[in-house]
Amino acid sequence: MSTKSFSLMFASLTLVTGTAALAQAPAPTAKPVTTLTSPVTGNAVSGKKLYYDHACYSCHGFNGETGARAFVPNWPANLATERSFLAFLRGRANVAPVQPSTSMPNYPVESLSDAQAKDVYAYIRSFTSTPPPLEKIPTMTQILAAAQRPYKK
Amino acid sequence: MAKSKNVAVNRRGFLKGAATAAAGAAAMASPLPSSEAAAAQQTGAASAAAAQVPAPSPVQLERDAGSARPPATAGNTRAAVRPGSDLMVQVLRDLGIEYVAANPGSSFEGLQESIINYGHPPNVKPEFITALHEESAVTMAHGYGKATGKPMCALLHGTIGIQHAAMSIYQAYYDKTPALLIAGRDLGFIAAHSANDMAGMVRSFTKWDATPKTLEESLIAIQRAYNEAISPPNGPTMVVIDIDLQKEEAGSLKVPAYRPPSISGVDPGTAREIAKGLVEAQNPRLNVGRLRTPEGVQLAVQLAELVGASTATSATQGPMSFPQRHPLSGPGANTTYDYTLGLEQGGGTVSLIGPSLSTLLSRDTTNIGFGGIAPGVSRAGGGGRGGRGGAATGRTIDVDAEASLPAIIDAVRSQMSPDKQRTIQDRSAKHAAANQTARVDALTRALEQRRAGWDASPVSTARIYAELWPLIMNEDWILASPSNFSGGHNSQLWDHNKPYSYLGGQGAGGMGYGAPACVGAALAAKERKQIVVNVQCDGDLNYAPGVLWTAQHHQLPMLTIMHNNRAWHQELMFVEYMCGVRGRGTDRGHIGTSLRDPFIDYRMMAAAYGMAGEGPITDPLKLAPAFKRGLASVKKGQPYMIDVITQPR
Repeated sequence: MSTKSFSLMFASLTLVTGTAALAQAPAPTAKPVTTLTSPVTGNAVSGKKLYYDHACYSCHGFNGETGARAFVPNWPANLATERSFLAFLRGRANVAPVQPSTSMPNYPVESLSDAQAKDVYAYIRSFTSTPPPLEKIPTMTQILAAAQRPYKK
Repeated sequence: MAKSKNVAVNRRGFLKGAATAAAGAAAMASPLPSSEAAAAQQTGAASAAAAQVPAPSPVQLERDAGSARPPATAGNTRAAVRPGSDLMVQVLRDLGIEYVAANPGSSFEGLQESIINYGHPPNVKPEFITALHEESAVTMAHGYGKATGKPMCALLHGTIGIQHAAMSIYQAYYDKTPALLIAGRDLGFIAAHSANDMAGMVRSFTKWDATPKTLEESLIAIQRAYNEAISPPNGPTMVVIDIDLQKEEAGSLKVPAYRPPSISGVDPGTAREIAKGLVEAQNPRLNVGRLRTPEGVQLAVQLAELVGASTATSATQGPMSFPQRHPLSGPGANTTYDYTLGLEQGGGTVSLIGPSLSTLLSRDTTNIGFGGIAPGVSRAGGGGRGGRGGAATGRTIDVDAEASLPAIIDAVRSQMSPDKQRTIQDRSAKHAAANQTARVDALTRALEQRRAGWDASPVSTARIYAELWPLIMNEDWILASPSNFSGGHNSQLWDHNKPYSYLGGQGAGGMGYGAPACVGAALAAKERKQIVVNVQCDGDLNYAPGVLWTAQHHQLPMLTIMHNNRAWHQELMFVEYMCGVRGRGTDRGHIGTSLRDPFIDYRMMAAAYGMAGEGPITDPLKLAPAFKRGLASVKKGQPYMIDVITQPR
């Protein structure tokens, strides 16, 4: 079983280069944003099933917060709008090389329709990130306090 | 020998065949079922060859039927008054071998009997450890070797045992970990279990092997195998010992005196030159990689403190390196270093790097190591396995660092003056303050990042490591499982201050390593009052889960926390990607990569092997209480398993 470095394969969602499809999308914002307000038209319930069926969680965690490519709460530009998300999925199909160097699987319309992609987007947009602040997590404060103690051989 | 019951050439079939052959013409005339007759006709030449093999003697048949008795001797009913295998066990004792792990096999029955019955008390140092698979037995030795720097022994039964063990031998070899392997051979029994050159099957990835012809040679070979295993480059070694030698009457034969290996360090002139560089530098630095033993780590600490050098460590990547929280560990107050000494780590003004596996290429008859160990072809850029990480900016001396340290330390002391000592004290204090600040800053950033998904269900892998750390930070612990698949959070959240704090990866990236390596580490931990933490990937456990029984049977201090993402998750991501590249959709990527329909119940699995545990846990709030229960059990010498349903990574 291979254990080749995952980091070599899975580049950031934001690494996608320009394609015809992407060129038609609105220019994404340059930096990730923490709050999205763009319209959502898909069905999040359907999107949830698709998110599981297509194992999106494998890279992005079950709530977008964990995993190899977390995107919550720092939403990358490709997820800024429904349209940029679709453009990203379609664009990927044309740019990914056979040898994996970038990571996001490609989703041509034959494997994920526009409607389905919008549903996935709707589900993704339901993700929220509200972890407690560090000082409210006793385990973490305990770890930090221990780090202040002198080193014992 | 239970293992032979279900193979094509099994004991019963063999005996039946042997009896048939011994019956001569009568057997030849016996009617065969038509399919067997046809097969016999088709294998003409082979059958003819087989006919040349002499039939077992009546004595062999008696023994295999269980009716053999020791030969009668005056006043003694034992087969041998002083069996050769007793002397072999004495050699193991003298070498300090604590454990011998094996899945039982008839080809070493003499040796096994001696381990469990010879000496006062019997079955202690070495103690026979019951393994349920040869791969587990050798991986136990692998884990033990990394935790202690010493070899543990594993017994392998003939050709089949060696092949079962081959994967784990391969990993230990790539991990440069000492292990002493003894393979039994019984030329008079099942032909398929014997070979002229049994060690040849694994010669490409063992450091040394021998097939001694006499009892005395066997004793010497075990000693030599031990020495070869602990001499750089460390690695597994194998001695093939015939069953007859194990059962031979030793008579007055004495156990040969043991001579430890002489491992060369730098010559005195080079030691003085290095010492001068360190003592006269305004800001010296040490780059410490993986040394061989805990004694080597102590020496590295001694040197760093003597010269006031800030020190880089690989303790978060594997065993036998500089203590991570030592005040001198870190970038220091000034990151412009004017003299750097590398100890099993490259990139220094002078780097001392012991022999790499490439020095063993003459044994690599199968060229199996071509991708990693052959000079000039390593895709890893020369780092890792050969221990030559870092940019080649300075002079590399091919010499063992650990063996060099005493001479360097002596030379430093001889060159030290009171003025220099005062300067060094001042520098050390500044380094300590700067390193502490840097450490707390890095830890704060790491904790901030790991808040993400803190309350998520399934549980985040970061929370597992974070919740566990406060509970073990004041214990003497070993993280013996690789953490790369579970996020590697220990490297940023935990302090790796002991030579055995973290035992690192699998060696050759092979799965099925985690649990048996942890059991091996737990064998070491049991005597030393330590506890072993095993953050266990679910896919990895399913290769040979029987090792959980070994942990329970021998009451080992091992806490297993399942990183249960219900998949071979790395492969799931790879297949997903390939589905996407080909534009065929990712909704079938789970086929062959996921462990679902049904989910595996690891709590039940542990229970089947007699191990206490709980789970599955999906609520992160339940983690810490479960961990406390688990640690309480482990401290009482009872292994414990907690099944946690986790985020994928």
